[in-house]
Amino acid sequence: MKKGVILLTSLMLVGSLLMSACSNNNDAEPAASGNSAQTEQGAKEGNTTVPGGESGLTEPYAAADMSKLPAVAKQRTDTIIVGLTDPSGAFTPYFTQSGYDGNVNSLLFSSLVTVDDKGLPIPDLAEKWDVSDDQLTYTYHLRKDLKFSDGSPLTADDVAFTWTIQFDKAYDGDSMVPTLAVKGAQAYKEGKAKSIEGIKVIDPQTISVTLEKPNATALVMLGGQVLSKAYYGKDYKFGQLDYIKKLHSNPVGSGPYKLEKFIPGQEVRFVANENYYKGKPKTERFIYKTSEGDTWQYLETGEVDYASFSATTENIEKLKSLGFVNIIPYTPSTYGYLQVNLEHEALKDKKVRQALTYGLDRQSIYVDANQGAGSVANIPASPISWAYTEEGINPYKFDTEKAKQLLDEAGWKEGAGGIREKDGKQLVIHYLGSKSKQTDIFIAVAKENFQALGVKFEPEVFADFNSLVSKVESGDYDLVSFSTPMLTDPSDGLVQFMDGEIKGYDNPKFKELYEKGLATSDIEQRKQIYKEIFQLLNDELPIIFTSYKKTVYGYNGRIDNLSVSPFVGLANSLPDWTLKPAQ
Amino acid sequence: MSAYLTKRISYMVIILLAASLLIFCLYALTPGDFISSNIKLSPERKAELREIYGLNKPLLERYGIWMKNALHGDFGFSLAQQKPVLTLFNEYIWNSFLLAAVSTFFTWLIAVIIGVVSAYKQYSWFDTLVMVLIFAAMSLPSFFIGLFLIKICAVDLKWLPPGGMLTTGSNATGLAYVKEVIHHMTLPVVVMTLLGVGSLTRYFRSNMIDVIKQDYIRTARAKGLKENKVLFRHALRNALLPAITLVGFELPSLFGGSLIIEKIFNWPGIGQLYIQSFGLRDYPLLMGFTMLLAVLTVIGTLLSDILYHIADPRVRLH
Repeated sequence: MKKGVILLTSLMLVGSLLMSACSNNNDAEPAASGNSAQTEQGAKEGNTTVPGGESGLTEPYAAADMSKLPAVAKQRTDTIIVGLTDPSGAFTPYFTQSGYDGNVNSLLFSSLVTVDDKGLPIPDLAEKWDVSDDQLTYTYHLRKDLKFSDGSPLTADDVAFTWTIQFDKAYDGDSMVPTLAVKGAQAYKEGKAKSIEGIKVIDPQTISVTLEKPNATALVMLGGQVLSKAYYGKDYKFGQLDYIKKLHSNPVGSGPYKLEKFIPGQEVRFVANENYYKGKPKTERFIYKTSEGDTWQYLETGEVDYASFSATTENIEKLKSLGFVNIIPYTPSTYGYLQVNLEHEALKDKKVRQALTYGLDRQSIYVDANQGAGSVANIPASPISWAYTEEGINPYKFDTEKAKQLLDEAGWKEGAGGIREKDGKQLVIHYLGSKSKQTDIFIAVAKENFQALGVKFEPEVFADFNSLVSKVESGDYDLVSFSTPMLTDPSDGLVQFMDGEIKGYDNPKFKELYEKGLATSDIEQRKQIYKEIFQLLNDELPIIFTSYKKTVYGYNGRIDNLSVSPFVGLANSLPDWTLKPAQ
Repeated sequence: MSAYLTKRISYMVIILLAASLLIFCLYALTPGDFISSNIKLSPERKAELREIYGLNKPLLERYGIWMKNALHGDFGFSLAQQKPVLTLFNEYIWNSFLLAAVSTFFTWLIAVIIGVVSAYKQYSWFDTLVMVLIFAAMSLPSFFIGLFLIKICAVDLKWLPPGGMLTTGSNATGLAYVKEVIHHMTLPVVVMTLLGVGSLTRYFRSNMIDVIKQDYIRTARAKGLKENKVLFRHALRNALLPAITLVGFELPSLFGGSLIIEKIFNWPGIGQLYIQSFGLRDYPLLMGFTMLLAVLTVIGTLLSDILYHIADPRVRLH
């Protein structure tokens, strides 16, 4: 009897613990990259319709009444505090599993090459670089006298080490570097070579790397953050990387800030790095404060200086009314889409996919219902990308009649109960979405839209992102809402059509263009190629493009020189931030 | 007694073994794994990583590996946090414990006092009023009352901080540190106490009512004892006996963390860590934490049985 009770108790315990997680829609700062669940995220509050649908903020807005600044924020003299959802404390680039640790790393470690606001490469630790005529060899020239935060020199050997360990067979991070075809990397990974043939240290300031196949993204991808060989490579033996875990909490980098202290679940504290190559940052201290969920209360009480919000009219008004915050508009470098199950008979037909796109009122779902905190997407690139174009792009304006006509052409005729049929099968769309406000709006509108077309709509909502993904992997769906992770190069947004992620899309023309787009690093040439690719995908719709997000950043009016890059976040401008004296 | 203990402990081991297998299977069979939510990875890289992490092995083999390591005291590395699971527990669990211990203390204290008084003055205006208030407090959703108090006390009146455990950037040590933590834990403790006090008060009130009607209470009064003595020496002691069962059940909840409260008040506790690990399918951490709770539950029940025996010699242990 007693045993039974105890077993039952443990069972209940397990059951209650398995309760699914609440999803969190309002990050303090979006994760830089990595393992954070990316789904369609809706605006957190408010749901009233705004006619016109354009975001209420297109220009930076300056704080109107600095006297409202809370006392806590006035007292700070040398510290800036920014909220960050959940850094875990593993601060080694390439080994970090959480995107939030990536945000921390971006302040602790500088890259060889970084990107500007359009996503084009600009010098960082490397002052210049050459690309060979065959587009296969990249040579990086490092600045002179570079130092790590512990004062030791940063040289080409450190770069070579950084690249090499990512090709180790035990490397378990999510860096994209191992996907590059570096000459001799495969042999190294298999243990057949002692070093990687394609990586050559020419002198302490010069290093080159040779690829087997041209890849325009390699310059930025290999030009990443540099690990100190003396520190991270001391105990390195091929096939054994476990020792690095012990170094996660004591990073040695070359970025603008050094780690002072990590308090789990609370704060990451930084101090200015006096060895930073651009000179010591202007603000002595910086803190990432762990703050899950809503960040309003922290900005309002002056506990953080900077937070991001969905660009709804309501949020913008509220930020303006606080008086002491500057506001800047921001478009993340991502796009939202509906993944289409191309293995299902009905959806194999391009006309059906186009009909669904025409028939879906994306303007209402993503723009109006979000109070302007979004815009409609028609190509797999964000409007801020250098490759973005609207030339020759079909906007698929909401048009029920056109959609009906296309379905008729595809042979789907109205049957019993107003549902279209073909060969005795009904046209049913089984939709999957993550639990969020945006999904609720989508389901409400799409149900009506699809009903008007004679399409049966069966939505299914998941509170847990992982379960959603495995349902998609099992193939039991027709449409599913996703959003891409942050995209730097235009090819990043296309890779899912190449690597088998989108099952059933096999277009030789696309593959040819994709390879062509990577074969040159000439931007004008690439622009032309991506325009062609976007036009092709916009017509074929292997996925249905839905939306771009719009965000605003609100920050303490005392901070000067603040800017946010869509690709590297705060990292590029942070060393210049200064704190004006409080009034 | 020792025979009894040996028997009970061997049962406990069997139960924990069964529970661990069950828990492991439940986690492993929930759809998705640690790799699948990382949408950056290509299908080949995903397969490669599953190989490195051993996620492609058969379920029972994975359980065997976990069990073998656990028996050697190695609960593994958290996949997402990149730290040993036990280190993580040590970093987070004490924060949860602090919150739970203080609020449990206040919950019990308040519940006992109110329970006794309202039982003594059954059906008086005090009793009725308290019962109404208690039901009101019990039926409040925790996230609502939490956010409401943050809005009033932190954002509008600026009396208390809106969340966290320390003032950001604070270097306070010693007494100043203690003061700061108390300042930050006030709101969450108030909410937890408010939500917990209701059911416990009802429990003590009804126990007390039963006891007050017993013959020995009448005898005590007939002996001419002071009313205070009758109530607290004779009645309360007996009314508290059944509560010993509850003490055992409180044990896991002291260490388990509170998911909602920790999230609302941004408290760096284990509850938040757990729920986030579940979303990511961080198996080593999930297994370690759930097993810890299972162990505490089993120990808690044993403890309350033994305490019962000590407090009330009429109860025999077999």
